[in-house]
Amino acid sequence: MFRINVAQIPSILKTTMLQFNPVSELRNPVMLLTEVAFVLSIFMAIFPGSFSLPATASYEEFYLSVIVMLFLTLLFANFSYAVSEGKSRTIVESLKKMRKETIARKISDDGTESIVPSSSLRKGDIVNVGAGEEIPSDGEVLEGSGFVMESNITGESRPSLKLVGDGVTGSTLLTTDHLRIRVTSDPGETFIDKMIELVNAATREKTPNEVALTIFLAGLTLIFLIVTASLFSLSLFLGNAPNLMVLMVLLICLIPTTIGALLSAIGIASINRISKYNIMAKSGKAVENAGDIDTVILDKTGTITMGEREARKFYSVPGVDQKEFALDCLKCSLPDLTREGISIAKLAKSYGASVSEQEMSGYEFKAFSAETKSSGITGENETIIKGALKALEERFGIRDQYVEGVCKEISSRGGTALPVIKNGRFIGVIELIDILKPGIRERINSIREMDIKTIMCTGDDEITAQQISQESGIDEFVANSTPMDKYQVVLREKENSKMVAMVGDGTNDAPALAKADVGLAMNSGTPAAKEAANMVDLDNDPTKLLDVIFLGKQVLITRGALTTFSFANDISKYFVIIPAMFSSFAVLNFLNVLDLTNPILAVTAALIYNTVIIIALLPLAIRGVSFRPSSANELLKRNMMLYGIGGAIFPFLAIKVIYMLLILGGVAW
Amino acid sequence: MTVPSSLNQSSSFWVNLFLQNRELSGFIIVLIYLLVASILAYILSNHIARIYRGEPTVFSRYAKPFIDFFEKMLGPVAKKKMKLRDYVLSFVFFNLVAGVVAILAIYFQNYVPFNHAFAANNFSLIINTVVSFLTNTNLQHYSNPLRFTYFSQTFVLIGLMYIGPATAFAVSMAFIRGINTEEGHLGNFFHDLLVSFFELIIPLSLILTVVLIVAGIPETTMYYLTVHPLFSGSTVNLPLGPVSSWESIKNLGTNGGGFYGANAGFPLENPNWFTNILEFSAFTLIPLASIMSLGKVFSSRSFGRMLYMVVMGIFLFSALVAFFGEYIGIPSFSGLGMAYTGNMVGKETAIGLASSTTFGVGATMTSTGAADALLAAYTPTGMLGIIIPLLMNDPLGGVGTSVLNLFTFVIFTAFIASLMVGRLPEMMRIKLGSKEIKYSTLSLVTHPLLVLIPLGVTFTLSFVMTSFSNPAPFRVTALLYEFGTSAANNGSEIGTFLTNQDYFNYLDALIMLIGRYFIMIFQLVIAQSLAGKSPRSEGENAVRLGSPAFGFTLFAVMIVVGVLSFFPVLALGPLLSLAKDFNLFIWRV
Repeated sequence: MFRINVAQIPSILKTTMLQFNPVSELRNPVMLLTEVAFVLSIFMAIFPGSFSLPATASYEEFYLSVIVMLFLTLLFANFSYAVSEGKSRTIVESLKKMRKETIARKISDDGTESIVPSSSLRKGDIVNVGAGEEIPSDGEVLEGSGFVMESNITGESRPSLKLVGDGVTGSTLLTTDHLRIRVTSDPGETFIDKMIELVNAATREKTPNEVALTIFLAGLTLIFLIVTASLFSLSLFLGNAPNLMVLMVLLICLIPTTIGALLSAIGIASINRISKYNIMAKSGKAVENAGDIDTVILDKTGTITMGEREARKFYSVPGVDQKEFALDCLKCSLPDLTREGISIAKLAKSYGASVSEQEMSGYEFKAFSAETKSSGITGENETIIKGALKALEERFGIRDQYVEGVCKEISSRGGTALPVIKNGRFIGVIELIDILKPGIRERINSIREMDIKTIMCTGDDEITAQQISQESGIDEFVANSTPMDKYQVVLREKENSKMVAMVGDGTNDAPALAKADVGLAMNSGTPAAKEAANMVDLDNDPTKLLDVIFLGKQVLITRGALTTFSFANDISKYFVIIPAMFSSFAVLNFLNVLDLTNPILAVTAALIYNTVIIIALLPLAIRGVSFRPSSANELLKRNMMLYGIGGAIFPFLAIKVIYMLLILGGVAW
Repeated sequence: MTVPSSLNQSSSFWVNLFLQNRELSGFIIVLIYLLVASILAYILSNHIARIYRGEPTVFSRYAKPFIDFFEKMLGPVAKKKMKLRDYVLSFVFFNLVAGVVAILAIYFQNYVPFNHAFAANNFSLIINTVVSFLTNTNLQHYSNPLRFTYFSQTFVLIGLMYIGPATAFAVSMAFIRGINTEEGHLGNFFHDLLVSFFELIIPLSLILTVVLIVAGIPETTMYYLTVHPLFSGSTVNLPLGPVSSWESIKNLGTNGGGFYGANAGFPLENPNWFTNILEFSAFTLIPLASIMSLGKVFSSRSFGRMLYMVVMGIFLFSALVAFFGEYIGIPSFSGLGMAYTGNMVGKETAIGLASSTTFGVGATMTSTGAADALLAAYTPTGMLGIIIPLLMNDPLGGVGTSVLNLFTFVIFTAFIASLMVGRLPEMMRIKLGSKEIKYSTLSLVTHPLLVLIPLGVTFTLSFVMTSFSNPAPFRVTALLYEFGTSAANNGSEIGTFLTNQDYFNYLDALIMLIGRYFIMIFQLVIAQSLAGKSPRSEGENAVRLGSPAFGFTLFAVMIVVGVLSFFPVLALGPLLSLAKDFNLFIWRV
């Protein structure tokens, strides 16, 4: 269910009332026509004679109820707009609060530090930030590392570690250490500025899909306008001067007020919902595109499996003592602060290995890189390197049958083998295992049920990749892949005219992100990656790409379902209002399938249904219709059943019930 | 209902079964008609698929010299790769020239030698007639053949009966090319036109003409035959003429305008059951074959099958409504206790009830509008069966327009269905942007607006309503039919009022022009817009146009759009008449 914050009520009511201004209804032809009808109905009720309407007491009550219902229709439409708009306004307000002016310690070219207001910072400026200070603008870490509290943007209460090359967001708080940052955006173009702009634009501008739907609704509204007008002259011709008020009610009941009233709310709600996921989409269009994805490219690490792998077992080559091997592993992993390194160190300690900090000071650590595919330490008289088997074999030009055998065995179990070389000789293998993220299997399954192809990219070898993809249900994998390979995969899929979605964080991912139809960058990623992507995830959870796809589909399905429902409803209204209008033709009573004996009460019941259904469907519009991930064919079948056939039958029942309630309530016109 | 007659007794069980259960035999006749039409259309569908794909056909060898000759005459314009603007200008210009020439030729028909002079025609009638023949409507506000000379008939009207369908078929070729191509152009109108003429319409009509002559339909330049009817002292002039060749293109080209005023109800146009089913199959042939060919054209058999099922579903439904409506007849008659064999008023006994109603529904399912029975004498229920397809803008369509009209619904349904499965609107793996939706909506609203606006206006004009003599609900039906038939470029009429008056002549002409050319142009705009877009590879995750679920959605959309647009008028026209009939029945019993 959607909830409305009590504090928002005044502003929602204000927007609701402002929306009555016909100028703001111009964007919505359906509601504009309703407003015209509303004004007309007032005139009709005041001067019934001029419209040759009967003016008995019961008719006057009927006119009054029409006025009230038309007012409510408009009110509900405006209200649904205001509620969604109110939600985005809350987001904008909180964002604006964040964008407060701070001071910045700017480093000039000669290296001196000067205090300037944060708004004066330009792209390329260098600033210093100390512990407890706010980061003045979006930027990239040049020097230092530290924990940054981003809770005001992400809602995540734990501070995240920022290292050299990482991106930082303005207005977040550095809690420890000291960073030197290069500013990456001009004032007004920062992340928060863009987000404010986005949320504002989402309430202001229509996506192409909304435009198309509005055109279509306008076309059908035109038909119904002409239908009603021709009915007027037709009934005059048949000598049955129609009651203009009833004719107008027919028109309002026929035009697609349901979808017309809720259309803008659906769009705004989608932007609100995606912000709730802590994802910043650069446009509403990007969200809709996400629903349209044919292929998803996922990284293995971080998306399918838990970040880094964990060490499980050591295998030393014959002739090397197990304990000695554990010690070497510990040495080369201690400076390695990745989770993988930490887990190796932990495992080594459980083997009884230990090393003092002093001993370690003599070594130089070389971190893992995608190019060398290895990491290690170099000391005065020993070099210990661990890395991928192939990379090590090529680099050192050696092979070891035992190591190869162990590696193969580990891989066949789906684990990752990490051979270790000491002074140019294999000394053993560390077995690492990948841990699938909890629930990832089910999520990938649901994506596959929507017939979306999943491709996994991993730097691992073929066998490991296959194991993981089998385990998680991935369709296709690219093993031994480099960031450039990812770009190739995107290109290949695009050439097959597929819509591609992918996640990326490194600078290397930027070309692929830019090429993909939906590129989700991690907030921790480089500015280049964030620039190239059309969505940024503030929580750095790549799995969310799957949520985005789901959300995109949901927005479109909600629109389609409510449009279908709106039209299917019309059939019943004909069967209620036409016999009521021509009750003087007793022979037409066979059309009165609901057996509503009082004509004006029947018309009122139809109008009440038409009005109430808007507010009844508002939660659905804002929350989105629920759907089970399944093939397009299944979805179409189910939604046609529910909203098409259901939408044709349901109002018959509802109108009959409303009519009975009116009778029971003692309305006797 | 059994008919107690010794004629209906037979020794054979089966013969008895069919003779005594006329509901069953009628139903079977309906099925036979649809089956024969489907088989013939299926045979032709391969040929049409080849034309749509631009491949050589069996007639190419014979057609090539003609096509080459005309292309050489036309010069570079016949070689140009045309985009939307050029294509539209070409076919509009070509039709305009044909129309103007036809108007002049008929206006001065009495000055052409070797012709029998007639009284001058009123100008509005000439305009109306030329427009209606040009737009494949063949609304005949005159009683043929007492108005036009043999010259006008043979050269002008038959000429237009070829030009109309050929133009539409050429446009449908461009439309399909637009969907299938990525090259951004729609082809060449003149080439398409010549192909339509020489590889489709002319060869088929030549074959049919010969068959019709063999079946006993006249083909002559002889002057009127003076006949002396039995039991009557007077003499009657029986006009003859090039009836077979007229009849052939009338049906094949889904034109439908009869050589004789009574159309296919006249024995010289349609002498027996064989010519009846032959003519029926002839006018459903090209539209149905075009729809069947789409499966091959878009390499998706299921798509072709789905369209066939949807259209045939509507066809069968309407045919059964018409048959049973006429079979049950007027309840008040049965109420009187008379032996009643259904409403045979205005029907040819040689053809019978089921054949007549199926022929009638076929004529409004397609844009033919031929009739072998007096539509004005139909019962209200029977009339519903005839009028429903008309109000859906001829679901089976005419030559060429079958594809164009059906696609207005397909695009629109694809839009809604895509949304409902959570995808941005697409059709045939091509994205539908707001431009396509705009023009698709325009195509969709054109037909109802073209019927309802004139209808609403006409009811308020008392001066045109003077020539009506039937009860009020029937007048509603008559006017609805008149504008429906014009807007759908159908051409069948129930008349019952003076149609040959300036008001209706001009108004109908305008409706026909808009109904014909606007939809063609809108569809070509869509085609042009799609021509530039690259198709996406077939994804399992998109709506499959060939799936039953899409077929059902398409069917529902067609029905709902039709119902929502016309329910009030139907309620006050045929339904009101119907209700009155049934009421009468109840009262009598």
